[in-house]
Amino acid sequence: MPQPATTSLLQAATSTFESLALLFPERCSAEGAEFIPLAAACSVTYHGAGTGRVVVGVTAGVLPALAENMLGAAAAPDLQMQRDALGELANIVTGNVLPLINGATAVFKLDAPTPAGEEPFRARDGETRAALTRLQMDEGEAILALFWQAGDPAQDDAPAVAMAGA
Amino acid sequence: MNLNVLIVDDSAVMRAMIRRTLSLCGISLGEVYEAGNGVEALEQLGEHWVDLALLDVNMPVMDGEELLQHIRASEEWRALAVIIVSTESSDTRLARLRAHGVEIVHKPFTPEQLRNTILQVTGLTHAAASNDLSAPSGDFDF
Repeated sequence: MPQPATTSLLQAATSTFESLALLFPERCSAEGAEFIPLAAACSVTYHGAGTGRVVVGVTAGVLPALAENMLGAAAAPDLQMQRDALGELANIVTGNVLPLINGATAVFKLDAPTPAGEEPFRARDGETRAALTRLQMDEGEAILALFWQAGDPAQDDAPAVAMAGA
Repeated sequence: MNLNVLIVDDSAVMRAMIRRTLSLCGISLGEVYEAGNGVEALEQLGEHWVDLALLDVNMPVMDGEELLQHIRASEEWRALAVIIVSTESSDTRLARLRAHGVEIVHKPFTPEQLRNTILQVTGLTHAAASNDLSAPSGDFDF
């Protein structure tokens, strides 16, 4: 059964951080999340049954830990590899959150991850920020947001409580 | 038996993760080849003997579904053991992929999930596919 966007994003993010990167986050208040200094943020755009994107940003301690744990590297991978690891994590979060919101029959295509640019958690023209989640772990913090195209009937039909945590 | 494996994923990080997971999951490996999309994968298949292909779905140039159609249409590769390693969760698309005789491993995955699926698609027993950990190797540091 489809779930609200915030619940779905939290579930997909937590399980991906745990399984993929062996980092164990806890949810904290998303208030002020947009202003936390980030080491990197990337965005994965999706198309298909709906259109939108997922943004994942992490603080300085989380970025190298992600890559080290994902790749099992004894020495810290270089910055590009760290950003690529973040992109892969964002890709997996996106792939896992969409069926939670839209149901298992909806088909989506994901674009390759790209840098999220400035103000990564601000909605662009025509977008609605459907969910914003802030996770805390020993290594630092991760902020995640889900945006979808405003007026997209497939997604605007998703449970309205989605906006409660946005 | 040492399995020659082809990993097809547009993410270099994911290819490295899969390669690492393969090394952890107790399967005896031969050569491990990599490709960043379906076209590169077909080139690798033309050049090397491969026992098992691990395919992502969403890739540029040629995606995993189209690659799979090429593989199954080929006289030479149609019986190749294939595992889809993807975030894909759509029942519709997964059913379409399974119709090509593949198994699915959903990202993120554990070494155990990958090993069990490899045994399933290759038809190997655990003993036949495993490294013989009891054999003396002389590689220990102590």
